[in-house]
Amino acid sequence: MEDKEKLEGQQTGRREFLSCLGSALACSAAAAAAGAITTGTVATTAAEAAVTEVPPNPAIPGYDWTQHQWAFGVDATKCIGCLRCVEACKKENNVPQDAHHFRTWVERYVTLEGEETARVDSQADPVNIAASGSESEYRFADRYRDAKVELAFFVPKLCNHCTHPACVQVCPTGATYKTEDGVVVIDHTYCIGCQYCVQACPYGARYFNEETGVTDKCTWCYHRITKGLQPACVEVCPVGARIFGDRNDKQSAISQFIQNNRVSVLKPETGNAPNVFYIGIDKDVS
Amino acid sequence: MPRHIFRLILVILVCVVVGYGAKRFFTVNSFYEYGHYRGDSVADIASDKPKFKGVGYCASCHAKQTAEWSNGVHNSSDIGKIVKCEVCHGAGGERDVLGPFEASATGADHPNNLKMVVPTDTRKLCTFCHERMTGRPLQQRQIVVADHAGTQQCIVCHNPHSPKLNLTPVAEAAAQAGDPIVGKAKAAACAGCHGAEGVSRNLPGPSLAGQNAAYFAEALKAYGTGGRNNPMMSPAAQGMNAEDTGHLAAYFSGLKCEAAPASDAQAVSAGKAIASKCTACHGADGRAGNGAWPNLAGQSKDYLVNAIKAYKGGARNNGMMAGIVKDLNDSDAESVATYYASAACK
Repeated sequence: MEDKEKLEGQQTGRREFLSCLGSALACSAAAAAAGAITTGTVATTAAEAAVTEVPPNPAIPGYDWTQHQWAFGVDATKCIGCLRCVEACKKENNVPQDAHHFRTWVERYVTLEGEETARVDSQADPVNIAASGSESEYRFADRYRDAKVELAFFVPKLCNHCTHPACVQVCPTGATYKTEDGVVVIDHTYCIGCQYCVQACPYGARYFNEETGVTDKCTWCYHRITKGLQPACVEVCPVGARIFGDRNDKQSAISQFIQNNRVSVLKPETGNAPNVFYIGIDKDVS
Repeated sequence: MPRHIFRLILVILVCVVVGYGAKRFFTVNSFYEYGHYRGDSVADIASDKPKFKGVGYCASCHAKQTAEWSNGVHNSSDIGKIVKCEVCHGAGGERDVLGPFEASATGADHPNNLKMVVPTDTRKLCTFCHERMTGRPLQQRQIVVADHAGTQQCIVCHNPHSPKLNLTPVAEAAAQAGDPIVGKAKAAACAGCHGAEGVSRNLPGPSLAGQNAAYFAEALKAYGTGGRNNPMMSPAAQGMNAEDTGHLAAYFSGLKCEAAPASDAQAVSAGKAIASKCTACHGADGRAGNGAWPNLAGQSKDYLVNAIKAYKGGARNNGMMAGIVKDLNDSDAESVATYYASAACK
């Protein structure tokens, strides 16, 4: 009997607790809903305010990032595989001078007679390193001189500065982000070197710098383009295979390039929406 | 409310407060300014100092080289092929990196504490772009180096600033325009060695009649500044200014030159064969297509032999000539000099 009463008491206690919890949850849900409505209102007001106010702009002298939308073009029919872009990029951006770290690189696609798929090599291939004689100088070896080549061409590669970048989405610290003017950059002071972004990028555009312990990537030379200069690789390309410019300016080189050519992007199926536009590549290039 | 529930809520509250406080404390102010990142980092990244300076930077001092380049095929802006200065000479600036990726505005710039690269191994440099290679577009000029040049450096024949041979006169070739009548009066002092009409005829100096005015002026300037040395010419040239040089150049270039009668038919034909090395710059008939280079037709034989020896021995310094003459022996030099001495001039 005593036990039974005790049991009932406990049951009552649990029931009370559950009903209490239920009402608490209901209350908090209501509060959350109210909060959401309030925030929504505030957000709308902020959006209305933003239209009239001057948009926020980082402190870059003489540069307004709301006025630009940068994009890059690659004309693979012009590329001669001289690799001046690769060396210039390394110099301009203090990329480690070895054959394993690159912000931009060049690939060679060679289809031999009777073969279905292309053979691909880049300046980091051991045969090509041997041809240059040094890991800090880059040169393609003429390794297909005696082969029966059906088709061969060079393709410069770099970060695609995607509209929906997977690398930015996975960064746990907000160290990598996309600027208003369309450039994906890394804040090296916030990067913790987890390399999640290196794996997330479908284009292999990022590398991990073991010396500094942070990830690095192409910035379209953000320190140059914000000063009215061209990225270093575009500056040194001797044949005009690399095109850079502002899509907001309909007369810019890149706008004209996109308008006058049937351009394509790499791996459109990944949904990253790249902003590097190619002409002169085929199905083997991805 | 039971005490343990109260404690639980208290613990959660404390965690929330501490967590929120820590977040406020550790997050820099500019975070969330523009998005889920440190707003100040945008300006940090943009503050880096560019290393590649562009053609304008080089042109502000090196006008002569820029002028050569801008008229040459390495500046074919019409087809979008522009080989800018820094492609071969390296970047004009050098940003110092103080720590890992620390943005810094310091670092040496050329010409302050930073020397530019003057490439010596042009066989290596030029072939980055011009070596025949599977995959290179056909419109790119490509060579098999061994077939094209043997073991020779590219700059033996090509001026890297304007590599196409012989078609476009380089800008520096324009000598200061002078007055031949004034020049004639001043030329009286030259007659002792170069002949009264600029034709040497066994006198110690070279014939000057009909020489390219630009080359003539450059040669006088070289004597004046020590680029060339000769006990007779150096003091004479040191007393001249650019105007005098222009007058003399105008006078001598307008004179009629005179070829020596062919003395040794065998040497002439042997010399003609050797002269195939020279034609790219000095012309098929010994008359240079470019004013910057000397005409050889009708020149005094002894002078030509001495010049070849001087280039070979290093008494005269010219990368292009040194490469050409190094394979010529004494009898080759005699033959080719005989050929040019007897070649008809204008």
